[in-house]
Amino acid sequence: MGDGYLHGIKEDIAGDGLFDQFFEWYDDRNSYAKKWKERTGGKVVGSLCTYTPEEVLTAANCLTVRLLGFHEPQDVTEPYLFAMFCPFSRDTLAQGLKGKLDHLDGVVMAHSCLHLRQTYNVMKHKLPVEFAWYLPIPNNVKDKYAKEFMASEIERFKESVEEWREFKIDENRLEDAITLMDKNRHLLRTVYEYRKDDNPHLTGMEALAMVTASELVDKHDANREIEKILKYLPSRKIKTDSKVGSRLIVIGSEDDDMSFAHMVEHEDATVVIDEHCTGTRWFWKEIGPEHDNLSQERRIGDRYCSRPACPTKDYAMDDGTRLRFLHILKLCGDYNVDGALLIQQKFCDPHEGDMVPLKEFLSEHDIPSLQLEFDVTLPLGQFKTRVEAFLETIGEEDLF
Amino acid sequence: MTQKEYWRWDEKCWKDESMDSSDTKIISVGIDIGSVSSEAVICLDGKFYASNTVRTGSNSPTSAKDALKPLLEHAEISYEAVDFIVGTGYGRVNIPFQDKAVTEIACHGRGANYMVGPSLRTILDMGGQDCKAIHIDERGKVTNFLMNDKCAAGTGRGMETIADLLKVPITEIGDRSFQINAPAEPISNVCVVFAKSEAMAMVKSGKTLNEVLASYCKAMADRVTQLLDRIGMEKEFFITGGISKNRGVTERIEENLGIKAVKPKDERLDAQTAGALGAALFGFVLASKKGSKKDTRKGQIL
Repeated sequence: MGDGYLHGIKEDIAGDGLFDQFFEWYDDRNSYAKKWKERTGGKVVGSLCTYTPEEVLTAANCLTVRLLGFHEPQDVTEPYLFAMFCPFSRDTLAQGLKGKLDHLDGVVMAHSCLHLRQTYNVMKHKLPVEFAWYLPIPNNVKDKYAKEFMASEIERFKESVEEWREFKIDENRLEDAITLMDKNRHLLRTVYEYRKDDNPHLTGMEALAMVTASELVDKHDANREIEKILKYLPSRKIKTDSKVGSRLIVIGSEDDDMSFAHMVEHEDATVVIDEHCTGTRWFWKEIGPEHDNLSQERRIGDRYCSRPACPTKDYAMDDGTRLRFLHILKLCGDYNVDGALLIQQKFCDPHEGDMVPLKEFLSEHDIPSLQLEFDVTLPLGQFKTRVEAFLETIGEEDLF
Repeated sequence: MTQKEYWRWDEKCWKDESMDSSDTKIISVGIDIGSVSSEAVICLDGKFYASNTVRTGSNSPTSAKDALKPLLEHAEISYEAVDFIVGTGYGRVNIPFQDKAVTEIACHGRGANYMVGPSLRTILDMGGQDCKAIHIDERGKVTNFLMNDKCAAGTGRGMETIADLLKVPITEIGDRSFQINAPAEPISNVCVVFAKSEAMAMVKSGKTLNEVLASYCKAMADRVTQLLDRIGMEKEFFITGGISKNRGVTERIEENLGIKAVKPKDERLDAQTAGALGAALFGFVLASKKGSKKDTRKGQIL
């Protein structure tokens, strides 16, 4: 019996068990972190955003765990969060206020949205953490000063972590951490390549479990498990070809709701690619080897400024181009997508702001889309009707 | 003494007496289990033949049976003779004797297309507990849709609540909402519970029942107009669902939009049955392409 993040859905997941370890880590994330501490003597740091440079924490013998919600109603956050803050910031804070995150030694917020910043501010005071750091990240990551700024903030962050951990993070340790993180990114990308095939070799739910679990566990453990999976993946088929159905992309913020993923793929549809921060946005670019005498902090910073941007960071270029939209369009082409599910957390301003132009952009490129507004819990019945109807619009020619 | 149920609308079993089922090749049935009403429709070779509308009961299987059994008896068609049954509506997954489930969005699109013709592009389905704006192509296939969110305002259930509260038969609300001397005053259009409180306050402040009804019909019309504004209006426009029978709402929607909703080509067709009709039409196509399912349904009792 794990921590319960899968809400018992594991029993409904039919399959060959290839991804079971990831589902187990997803389900049992807090117990894993506690055992990791016992096993390694390291510290566990909660991260509230994918812009946290995990390389620095890894080099300081810290396990970075992505803080996510539990998807259940709660009544503990009202005194701390404004009513119109998003359900994700609320649900995540509730985990801390309910004592489920007492094993955390530190918490880090990389500057992105204001709702999560408030969650961080409350956690800093209410959780028994030794270390808390608010990491400034450039708002416009494509600005010409952004990479330099990011590098200097990573340097400050590193110094702060060193002070907390009471040891110097030397170049070798940081380079090892970069290599480890990059290996994880490379392996995940390799798995994702298989999803381009007509039969995508893994379900969207399995991909979600794999990526989210990789955000929660030691990258050595994650990499070992992904390498094991890669041996079997080439010959694996997830469903009969006809049952693969419509090929979907899921676009949004943190879309780790397994019940929703399960419901969608229970229909004749398969999620073949994603653009959200419990998916590609977290791992989609490597730092790469040393080059041009750049400092390690600068190389790390370059990666975070160059990876697919979150809507809070995706400012229009001078000619009005939205690089994130172009990235999404490329993913749709590469993965032969039939339709897009746009998942929006209620009250998530950055994503809400993107919804209208993104829908129009997708429509201009003949990619049908369905927008769904997520809350802490899901009205699965209503969503089921909408998803089914959406799938009927992009398929079901048999009916006519 | 039984309390009068003001919300109660007419349940109706009807068949086209001019048609004959005896030399039909394919008999298809559509069953729409909505949150408030359930409809069953029989099509003979893809032509509308008979329909039944009943109040949805406590569970979907019973409601489906309550809608279909009397209809088959009235139409003098045996259950065993039915080639294909398509279920739709929120209860579609729990109809034990259906051969396929299709969403009510697709079914309303196809049913409305049959009722109006290929020029129809926009449908407003005002159901018992939700409301949908639907765009379709010339075949009745859905090209886009929007549903209201987590709120009963603008739905049939909301209208039933007001009927009971004001003790006005629901079938009279539309006409009475126009028997007023001054324009309807604004009332909450975001929540049935708030609207109910406001309606009571209006009564206490001396407003006539008709004025309160006008305000509520206007609030409902304004609410669903927003949904149509979001999806965009393409002519022609048609309203389905139970509220389509309430002119207090539909005429105010038309006023908001500045266009008239079209009527069914055959005035005997009931827009409340559009979903079940679409389901039956899909059943006809599926039976034509994939064969009758009546043999695989053998042994199942209606």
